[in-house]
Amino acid sequence: MNNLLQFVIRYSAFILFLLLEVVALTLVVKYNENQQGIFQHSSTLFSGKMYKFADNVYQYNHLQTFADSLASENASLKEKVFNLERSVQRLVPADQPMDSCILESYNLISAQIINNSINQRNNHFTIDKGKNDSIQNGMGVISEQGIVGIIDEVGKEYATAVSILHSAVQISAAIQRNGYFGSLVWKEADPLHMILEAVPRQADIQIGDTIITSGYSFIFPRGIYIGKVEQFWTEGGSNYYTIRVRLHEDIARMNRVYVVQYLEENLMKDEE
Amino acid sequence: MKNRDTLITILRALIILLVQVLVLKRIGLSTHWWWQHGNIFLYPIIILLLPFRLTRHYVILLGFVIGLVIDIFYDTVGVHAFALTAMAYARGVLLTWLEPRGGYQLSMTPTNHVMGINWLMTYSAISMFIFCFLYFVGEIFTFVYLGQILLKTVITFFMSILVIMGYHLLFNPKK
Repeated sequence: MNNLLQFVIRYSAFILFLLLEVVALTLVVKYNENQQGIFQHSSTLFSGKMYKFADNVYQYNHLQTFADSLASENASLKEKVFNLERSVQRLVPADQPMDSCILESYNLISAQIINNSINQRNNHFTIDKGKNDSIQNGMGVISEQGIVGIIDEVGKEYATAVSILHSAVQISAAIQRNGYFGSLVWKEADPLHMILEAVPRQADIQIGDTIITSGYSFIFPRGIYIGKVEQFWTEGGSNYYTIRVRLHEDIARMNRVYVVQYLEENLMKDEE
Repeated sequence: MKNRDTLITILRALIILLVQVLVLKRIGLSTHWWWQHGNIFLYPIIILLLPFRLTRHYVILLGFVIGLVIDIFYDTVGVHAFALTAMAYARGVLLTWLEPRGGYQLSMTPTNHVMGINWLMTYSAISMFIFCFLYFVGEIFTFVYLGQILLKTVITFFMSILVIMGYHLLFNPKK
Protein backbone atom coordinates (compact mmCIF):
# COMPACT_ATOMS: atom_id res chain seq x y z
CA MET A 1 0.00 0.00 0.00
CA ASN A 2 2.79 2.32 0.97
CA ASN A 3 4.60 1.48 -2.24
CA LEU A 4 1.53 2.21 -4.29
CA LEU A 5 1.09 5.55 -2.60
CA GLN A 6 4.70 6.42 -3.25
CA PHE A 7 4.31 5.41 -6.85
CA VAL A 8 1.27 7.64 -7.26
CA ILE A 9 3.04 10.59 -5.67
CA ARG A 10 6.17 10.06 -7.70
CA TYR A 11 4.33 9.86 -10.99
CA SER A 12 1.47 12.18 -10.16
CA ALA A 13 2.36 14.62 -12.96
CA PHE A 14 2.38 11.81 -15.48
CA ILE A 15 -0.90 10.42 -14.14
CA LEU A 16 -2.53 13.85 -14.35
CA PHE A 17 -1.23 14.17 -17.90
CA LEU A 18 -2.67 10.78 -18.90
CA LEU A 19 -5.99 11.60 -17.28
CA LEU A 20 -6.38 14.90 -19.10
CA GLU A 21 -5.32 13.34 -22.40
CA VAL A 22 -8.01 10.70 -21.99
CA VAL A 23 -10.57 13.45 -21.41
CA ALA A 24 -9.36 15.39 -24.46
CA LEU A 25 -9.40 12.30 -26.68
CA THR A 26 -12.85 11.36 -25.45
CA LEU A 27 -14.03 14.79 -26.53
CA VAL A 28 -12.41 14.38 -29.94
CA VAL A 29 -13.93 10.94 -30.50
CA LYS A 30 -17.34 11.79 -29.13
CA TYR A 31 -17.46 14.87 -31.28
CA ASN A 32 -16.35 13.04 -34.39
CA GLU A 33 -19.07 10.47 -33.90
CA ASN A 34 -21.87 12.86 -33.42
CA GLN A 35 -21.94 16.32 -34.89
CA GLN A 36 -24.08 17.89 -32.20
CA GLY A 37 -21.46 17.22 -29.59
CA ILE A 38 -21.79 17.84 -25.93
CA PHE A 39 -19.65 20.86 -26.28
CA GLN A 40 -20.60 24.44 -26.81
CA HIS A 41 -19.08 25.90 -29.94
CA SER A 42 -18.67 29.34 -31.23
CA SER A 43 -22.45 29.63 -31.35
CA THR A 44 -22.29 30.48 -27.67
CA LEU A 45 -22.96 34.03 -26.71
CA PHE A 46 -19.48 34.86 -25.49
CA SER A 47 -17.37 33.78 -28.40
CA GLY A 48 -20.09 34.85 -30.82
CA LYS A 49 -20.06 38.39 -29.44
CA MET A 50 -16.29 38.55 -29.71
CA TYR A 51 -16.29 37.35 -33.27
CA LYS A 52 -19.07 39.75 -34.16
CA PHE A 53 -17.02 42.63 -32.81
CA ALA A 54 -13.87 41.56 -34.63
CA ASP A 55 -15.86 41.04 -37.80
CA ASN A 56 -17.25 44.55 -37.63
CA VAL A 57 -13.72 45.89 -37.45
CA TYR A 58 -12.58 43.79 -40.42
CA GLN A 59 -15.62 44.46 -42.54
CA TYR A 60 -15.39 48.21 -42.10
CA ASN A 61 -12.51 48.23 -44.56
CA HIS A 62 -14.52 46.35 -47.14
CA LEU A 63 -17.78 48.28 -47.01
CA GLN A 64 -17.44 49.64 -50.53
CA THR A 65 -16.75 46.21 -52.03
CA PHE A 66 -19.75 44.87 -50.16
CA ALA A 67 -22.04 47.61 -51.34
CA ASP A 68 -20.92 46.99 -54.91
CA SER A 69 -21.41 43.25 -54.79
CA LEU A 70 -24.80 43.63 -53.11
CA ALA A 71 -25.89 46.12 -55.73
CA SER A 72 -24.90 43.84 -58.58
CA GLU A 73 -26.60 40.91 -56.90
CA ASN A 74 -29.69 43.03 -56.48
CA ALA A 75 -29.66 43.93 -60.16
CA SER A 76 -29.39 40.32 -61.27
CA LEU A 77 -32.19 39.31 -58.90
CA LYS A 78 -34.46 42.10 -60.17
CA GLU A 79 -33.80 40.95 -63.69
CA LYS A 80 -34.76 37.42 -62.71
CA VAL A 81 -37.96 38.58 -61.01
CA PHE A 82 -39.04 40.62 -64.05
CA ASN A 83 -38.44 37.73 -66.39
CA LEU A 84 -40.18 35.24 -64.12
CA GLU A 85 -43.16 37.54 -63.67
CA ARG A 86 -43.50 37.85 -67.42
CA SER A 87 -43.33 34.09 -67.83
CA VAL A 88 -45.90 33.54 -65.08
CA GLN A 89 -48.20 36.13 -66.60
CA ARG A 90 -48.17 34.26 -69.86
CA LEU A 91 -49.16 31.00 -68.11
CA VAL A 92 -51.78 32.33 -65.71
CA PRO A 93 -55.39 32.97 -66.81
CA ALA A 94 -55.87 36.70 -67.15
CA ASP A 95 -58.62 37.03 -64.51
CA GLN A 96 -56.52 35.61 -61.65
CA PRO A 97 -54.21 37.81 -59.63
CA MET A 98 -50.69 36.68 -60.30
CA ASP A 99 -49.57 36.69 -56.68
CA SER A 100 -51.89 33.82 -55.81
CA CYS A 101 -50.08 31.56 -58.27
CA ILE A 102 -46.63 32.00 -56.85
CA LEU A 103 -45.77 29.23 -54.41
CA GLU A 104 -44.01 30.65 -51.41
CA SER A 105 -42.20 27.59 -50.22
CA TYR A 106 -38.85 29.03 -49.21
CA ASN A 107 -37.94 31.95 -47.04
CA LEU A 108 -34.41 33.38 -47.00
CA ILE A 109 -32.93 34.85 -43.82
CA SER A 110 -29.95 37.08 -44.47
CA ALA A 111 -26.97 36.60 -42.17
CA GLN A 112 -23.28 37.32 -41.89
CA ILE A 113 -20.45 34.84 -41.37
CA ILE A 114 -18.46 36.03 -38.38
CA ASN A 115 -16.09 33.09 -37.94
CA ASN A 116 -15.01 30.72 -40.65
CA SER A 117 -12.40 28.08 -41.36
CA ILE A 118 -11.56 26.08 -44.46
CA ASN A 119 -8.29 24.29 -43.79
CA GLN A 120 -9.34 21.82 -41.12
CA ARG A 121 -10.52 18.28 -41.80
CA ASN A 122 -13.98 19.27 -40.56
CA ASN A 123 -14.83 22.91 -41.07
CA HIS A 124 -17.47 24.99 -39.34
CA PHE A 125 -18.57 28.58 -39.47
CA THR A 126 -20.58 30.87 -37.23
CA ILE A 127 -23.29 33.27 -38.36
CA ASP A 128 -24.71 36.25 -36.52
CA LYS A 129 -28.32 35.00 -36.46
CA GLY A 130 -29.79 32.46 -34.07
CA LYS A 131 -32.98 31.26 -32.43
CA ASN A 132 -34.20 34.85 -32.15
CA ASP A 133 -34.27 35.07 -35.93
CA SER A 134 -36.01 31.66 -36.24
CA ILE A 135 -32.88 29.83 -37.37
CA GLN A 136 -33.24 26.09 -36.77
CA ASN A 137 -31.07 23.03 -36.91
CA GLY A 138 -30.72 21.49 -40.35
CA MET A 139 -31.46 24.59 -42.41
CA GLY A 140 -29.31 25.10 -45.49
CA VAL A 141 -27.01 28.08 -45.89
CA ILE A 142 -26.33 29.55 -49.33
CA SER A 143 -24.52 32.59 -50.64
CA GLU A 144 -24.63 34.57 -53.83
CA GLN A 145 -22.06 32.15 -55.24
CA GLY A 146 -23.61 28.85 -54.21
CA ILE A 147 -24.17 26.50 -51.30
CA VAL A 148 -22.17 27.07 -48.15
CA GLY A 149 -23.28 24.70 -45.39
CA ILE A 150 -25.96 23.38 -43.08
CA ILE A 151 -26.93 24.80 -39.66
CA ASP A 152 -25.81 22.47 -36.93
CA GLU A 153 -26.14 24.18 -33.60
CA VAL A 154 -28.30 27.16 -32.75
CA GLY A 155 -27.65 29.62 -29.97
CA LYS A 156 -29.87 32.53 -29.02
CA GLU A 157 -28.15 35.13 -31.15
CA TYR A 158 -25.66 33.04 -33.09
CA ALA A 159 -25.60 29.72 -34.87
CA THR A 160 -22.85 27.36 -35.96
CA ALA A 161 -23.07 25.55 -39.26
CA VAL A 162 -21.24 22.59 -40.74
CA SER A 163 -19.44 23.85 -43.81
CA ILE A 164 -19.77 21.88 -47.06
CA LEU A 165 -16.05 21.37 -46.42
CA HIS A 166 -16.71 18.74 -43.75
CA SER A 167 -15.96 15.04 -43.97
CA ALA A 168 -19.47 14.04 -42.87
CA VAL A 169 -21.37 16.22 -45.33
CA GLN A 170 -23.42 14.55 -48.06
CA ILE A 171 -25.53 16.64 -50.40
CA SER A 172 -27.77 15.55 -53.23
CA ALA A 173 -26.54 17.29 -56.37
CA ALA A 174 -27.44 17.13 -60.05
CA ILE A 175 -25.98 17.96 -63.44
CA GLN A 176 -27.89 21.00 -64.61
CA ARG A 177 -27.96 20.06 -68.30
CA ASN A 178 -29.62 16.65 -67.97
CA GLY A 179 -30.76 16.20 -64.38
CA TYR A 180 -28.68 13.12 -63.54
CA PHE A 181 -27.88 13.25 -59.87
CA GLY A 182 -25.54 11.82 -57.29
CA SER A 183 -24.27 12.57 -53.86
CA LEU A 184 -21.72 15.26 -53.17
CA VAL A 185 -19.01 14.68 -50.56
CA TRP A 186 -15.80 16.36 -49.45
CA LYS A 187 -13.04 13.81 -49.60
CA GLU A 188 -9.78 15.40 -50.57
CA ALA A 189 -9.52 18.08 -47.89
CA ASP A 190 -9.08 20.65 -50.63
CA PRO A 191 -11.32 23.72 -50.22
CA LEU A 192 -11.75 24.16 -53.97
CA HIS A 193 -12.93 20.67 -54.90
CA MET A 194 -15.70 18.27 -53.95
CA ILE A 195 -16.52 14.82 -55.30
CA LEU A 196 -19.88 13.93 -56.84
CA GLU A 197 -20.38 10.19 -56.47
CA ALA A 198 -22.80 7.61 -57.80
CA VAL A 199 -23.85 9.32 -61.02
CA PRO A 200 -25.16 6.57 -63.36
CA ARG A 201 -22.87 5.68 -66.25
CA GLN A 202 -25.42 6.43 -68.94
CA ALA A 203 -25.32 10.10 -67.97
CA ASP A 204 -23.76 12.33 -70.59
CA ILE A 205 -21.15 14.43 -68.82
CA GLN A 206 -18.87 17.06 -70.23
CA ILE A 207 -16.06 18.94 -68.60
CA GLY A 208 -17.37 22.34 -67.56
CA ASP A 209 -20.95 21.19 -66.94
CA THR A 210 -22.65 23.04 -64.13
CA ILE A 211 -23.52 21.14 -60.97
CA ILE A 212 -26.52 22.36 -58.97
CA THR A 213 -28.50 21.21 -55.95
CA SER A 214 -31.03 18.57 -56.93
CA GLY A 215 -33.86 19.71 -54.69
CA TYR A 216 -34.50 16.14 -53.49
CA SER A 217 -34.14 17.26 -49.92
CA PHE A 218 -35.75 20.29 -48.36
CA ILE A 219 -32.46 21.69 -47.10
CA PHE A 220 -31.63 23.40 -50.36
CA PRO A 221 -34.11 24.42 -53.05
CA ARG A 222 -33.45 23.04 -56.52
CA GLY A 223 -30.98 24.82 -58.75
CA ILE A 224 -28.52 26.44 -56.35
CA TYR A 225 -25.10 26.62 -57.96
CA ILE A 226 -22.42 24.29 -56.58
CA GLY A 227 -19.60 24.18 -59.11
CA LYS A 228 -18.33 23.01 -62.47
CA VAL A 229 -17.22 19.54 -63.61
CA GLU A 230 -13.45 19.47 -63.72
CA GLN A 231 -12.74 15.78 -64.24
CA PHE A 232 -14.71 12.53 -64.25
CA TRP A 233 -13.94 8.83 -64.27
CA THR A 234 -15.33 5.42 -63.32
CA GLU A 235 -13.68 3.51 -60.52
CA GLY A 236 -12.65 0.10 -61.91
CA GLY A 237 -15.72 -1.81 -63.13
CA SER A 238 -18.22 0.34 -61.31
CA ASN A 239 -21.44 1.38 -63.00
CA TYR A 240 -21.17 4.88 -61.66
CA TYR A 241 -19.19 7.96 -62.52
CA THR A 242 -17.14 9.82 -59.97
CA ILE A 243 -16.92 13.50 -60.77
CA ARG A 244 -14.51 16.07 -59.38
CA VAL A 245 -16.34 19.35 -58.99
CA ARG A 246 -14.57 22.69 -58.80
CA LEU A 247 -16.29 25.01 -56.32
CA HIS A 248 -16.46 28.78 -56.54
CA GLU A 249 -13.24 30.59 -55.72
CA ASP A 250 -14.66 32.90 -53.09
CA ILE A 251 -15.24 30.29 -50.43
CA ALA A 252 -12.55 31.85 -48.24
CA ARG A 253 -13.80 35.41 -48.53
CA MET A 254 -17.48 34.67 -48.14
CA ASN A 255 -19.32 36.96 -45.79
CA ARG A 256 -22.98 37.55 -46.68
CA VAL A 257 -25.07 34.40 -46.64
CA TYR A 258 -28.74 33.41 -46.65
CA VAL A 259 -30.27 30.75 -44.46
CA VAL A 260 -32.95 28.77 -46.27
CA GLN A 261 -36.16 28.21 -44.37
CA TYR A 262 -38.54 25.70 -45.90
CA LEU A 263 -42.18 26.77 -45.60
CA GLU A 264 -44.11 24.13 -47.53
CA GLU A 265 -45.67 22.62 -44.42
CA ASN A 266 -47.10 25.95 -43.32
CA LEU A 267 -48.55 26.45 -46.76
CA MET A 268 -50.35 23.13 -46.62
CA LYS A 269 -51.81 24.00 -43.23
CA ASP A 270 -53.14 27.24 -44.69
CA GLU A 271 -54.82 25.40 -47.50
CA GLU A 272 -56.59 23.05 -45.15
CA MET B 1 6.16 42.26 -6.67
CA LYS B 2 5.24 38.67 -7.18
CA ASN B 3 1.57 39.55 -7.52
CA ARG B 4 2.35 42.12 -10.14
CA ASP B 5 4.29 39.56 -12.17
CA THR B 6 1.41 37.12 -11.99
CA LEU B 7 -0.99 39.79 -13.15
CA ILE B 8 1.26 40.67 -16.07
CA THR B 9 1.55 36.99 -17.02
CA ILE B 10 -2.24 36.60 -17.01
CA LEU B 11 -2.80 39.78 -19.01
CA ARG B 12 -0.18 38.73 -21.53
CA ALA B 13 -1.83 35.32 -21.85
CA LEU B 14 -5.22 36.93 -22.52
CA ILE B 15 -3.80 39.23 -25.19
CA ILE B 16 -2.01 36.34 -26.90
CA LEU B 17 -5.24 34.29 -26.88
CA LEU B 18 -7.13 37.19 -28.45
CA VAL B 19 -4.47 37.65 -31.14
CA GLN B 20 -4.65 33.92 -31.84
CA VAL B 21 -8.41 33.64 -32.33
CA LEU B 22 -9.10 37.05 -33.85
CA VAL B 23 -6.08 37.69 -36.04
CA LEU B 24 -3.99 34.58 -36.67
CA LYS B 25 -7.02 32.38 -37.29
CA ARG B 26 -8.31 34.77 -39.92
CA ILE B 27 -4.99 35.04 -41.74
CA GLY B 28 -5.24 31.37 -42.66
CA LEU B 29 -8.58 31.90 -44.39
CA SER B 30 -7.41 31.48 -47.96
CA THR B 31 -7.67 28.84 -50.64
CA HIS B 32 -3.96 29.13 -51.38
CA TRP B 33 -2.11 25.78 -51.20
CA TRP B 34 0.16 27.03 -48.43
CA TRP B 35 -2.70 28.06 -46.16
CA GLN B 36 -4.59 24.85 -46.83
CA HIS B 37 -1.79 23.09 -45.02
CA GLY B 38 -0.55 25.69 -42.63
CA ASN B 39 -1.76 27.45 -39.53
CA ILE B 40 0.04 29.89 -37.31
CA PHE B 41 -0.07 28.87 -33.66
CA LEU B 42 1.32 31.51 -31.36
CA TYR B 43 -0.64 30.72 -28.22
CA PRO B 44 1.48 27.72 -27.04
CA ILE B 45 4.01 30.42 -26.13
CA ILE B 46 1.86 31.02 -23.05
CA ILE B 47 2.90 27.59 -21.76
CA LEU B 48 6.48 28.04 -22.96
CA LEU B 49 6.77 31.32 -21.08
CA LEU B 50 5.53 30.10 -17.69
CA PRO B 51 8.08 30.64 -14.92
CA PHE B 52 10.36 27.76 -13.92
CA ARG B 53 9.02 27.68 -10.40
CA LEU B 54 5.55 26.54 -11.48
CA THR B 55 5.06 22.85 -10.73
CA ARG B 56 4.41 20.36 -13.51
CA HIS B 57 0.85 19.82 -12.32
CA TYR B 58 -0.03 23.47 -12.78
CA VAL B 59 1.54 23.58 -16.20
CA ILE B 60 -0.30 20.46 -17.38
CA LEU B 61 -3.61 21.68 -16.03
CA LEU B 62 -3.11 25.09 -17.61
CA GLY B 63 -2.27 23.43 -20.91
CA PHE B 64 -5.53 21.53 -20.82
CA VAL B 65 -7.64 24.57 -19.92
CA ILE B 66 -6.04 26.90 -22.49
CA GLY B 67 -6.41 24.18 -25.12
CA LEU B 68 -10.12 23.88 -24.38
CA VAL B 69 -10.59 27.65 -24.62
CA ILE B 70 -8.93 27.70 -28.04
CA ASP B 71 -11.06 24.70 -29.03
CA ILE B 72 -14.22 26.72 -28.45
CA PHE B 73 -13.05 29.35 -30.90
CA TYR B 74 -11.68 26.92 -33.48
CA ASP B 75 -14.70 24.56 -33.26
CA THR B 76 -12.28 21.67 -32.91
CA VAL B 77 -13.42 20.19 -29.56
CA GLY B 78 -10.58 18.53 -27.73
CA VAL B 79 -7.93 18.68 -30.42
CA HIS B 80 -6.11 21.73 -29.11
CA ALA B 81 -6.55 20.51 -25.54
CA PHE B 82 -5.03 17.16 -26.51
CA ALA B 83 -1.99 18.70 -28.19
CA LEU B 84 -1.37 21.42 -25.63
CA THR B 85 -1.65 19.09 -22.62
CA ALA B 86 0.96 16.86 -24.21
CA MET B 87 3.20 19.84 -24.88
CA ALA B 88 2.77 21.01 -21.30
CA TYR B 89 3.81 17.59 -20.03
CA ALA B 90 6.74 17.52 -22.43
CA ARG B 91 7.86 20.88 -21.06
CA GLY B 92 8.68 19.29 -17.72
CA VAL B 93 10.72 16.54 -19.38
CA LEU B 94 12.43 18.99 -21.70
CA LEU B 95 13.42 21.33 -18.88
CA THR B 96 15.13 18.42 -17.15
CA TRP B 97 16.99 17.48 -20.32
CA LEU B 98 18.05 20.98 -21.15
CA GLU B 99 18.98 21.96 -17.61
CA PRO B 100 22.16 24.04 -17.64
CA ARG B 101 25.03 23.13 -15.33
CA GLY B 102 24.11 25.72 -12.73
CA GLY B 103 20.42 24.73 -12.69
CA TYR B 104 17.60 27.19 -13.24
CA GLN B 105 16.95 30.36 -11.31
CA LEU B 106 13.51 29.39 -10.15
CA SER B 107 12.13 32.91 -10.07
CA MET B 108 12.92 33.35 -13.77
CA THR B 109 11.11 32.43 -16.97
CA PRO B 110 12.52 30.70 -20.05
CA THR B 111 13.30 33.75 -22.19
CA ASN B 112 16.05 34.96 -24.45
CA HIS B 113 17.08 37.39 -21.74
CA VAL B 114 17.60 34.66 -19.15
CA MET B 115 18.61 31.56 -21.10
CA GLY B 116 20.13 32.83 -24.34
CA ILE B 117 18.91 32.38 -27.90
CA ASN B 118 20.35 28.90 -28.55
CA TRP B 119 18.76 27.36 -25.51
CA LEU B 120 15.48 29.12 -26.23
CA MET B 121 15.45 28.01 -29.84
CA THR B 122 16.00 24.34 -28.93
CA TYR B 123 13.40 24.47 -26.19
CA SER B 124 10.76 26.22 -28.32
CA ALA B 125 11.40 24.17 -31.44
CA ILE B 126 11.12 20.76 -29.75
CA SER B 127 7.99 21.82 -27.86
CA MET B 128 6.33 23.29 -30.93
CA PHE B 129 7.12 20.28 -33.08
CA ILE B 130 5.46 18.02 -30.53
CA PHE B 131 2.49 20.37 -30.38
CA CYS B 132 2.03 20.70 -34.15
CA PHE B 133 2.42 16.98 -34.81
CA LEU B 134 -0.07 15.98 -32.10
CA TYR B 135 -2.47 18.72 -33.19
CA PHE B 136 -2.74 17.26 -36.68
CA VAL B 137 -2.83 13.69 -35.36
CA GLY B 138 -5.82 14.78 -33.26
CA GLU B 139 -7.47 16.74 -36.04
CA ILE B 140 -7.15 14.20 -38.82
CA PHE B 141 -7.50 11.35 -36.31
CA THR B 142 -6.20 8.50 -38.39
CA PHE B 143 -2.70 7.47 -39.33
CA VAL B 144 -3.89 6.57 -42.83
CA TYR B 145 -3.09 10.11 -43.88
CA LEU B 146 0.37 10.13 -42.30
CA GLY B 147 1.73 12.05 -45.31
CA GLN B 148 -0.89 14.77 -44.84
CA ILE B 149 -0.18 14.91 -41.12
CA LEU B 150 3.56 15.31 -41.67
CA LEU B 151 3.20 17.91 -44.42
CA LYS B 152 0.82 20.01 -42.33
CA THR B 153 3.01 19.58 -39.26
CA VAL B 154 6.11 20.80 -41.07
CA ILE B 155 4.46 23.85 -42.65
CA THR B 156 2.61 24.84 -39.48
CA PHE B 157 5.69 24.24 -37.35
CA PHE B 158 7.80 26.41 -39.63
CA MET B 159 5.39 29.36 -39.54
CA SER B 160 4.61 29.05 -35.83
CA ILE B 161 8.22 28.90 -34.69
CA LEU B 162 8.99 31.95 -36.83
CA VAL B 163 6.21 33.90 -35.14
CA ILE B 164 7.20 32.66 -31.67
CA MET B 165 10.87 33.58 -32.10
CA GLY B 166 9.70 36.86 -33.61
CA TYR B 167 7.69 37.48 -30.45
CA HIS B 168 10.79 36.86 -28.31
CA LEU B 169 13.00 39.15 -30.36
CA LEU B 170 10.38 41.87 -30.68
CA PHE B 171 9.11 42.05 -27.12
CA ASN B 172 12.12 40.49 -25.41
CA PRO B 173 10.08 39.50 -22.35
CA LYS B 174 12.08 39.47 -19.14
CA LYS B 175 9.55 37.96 -16.81
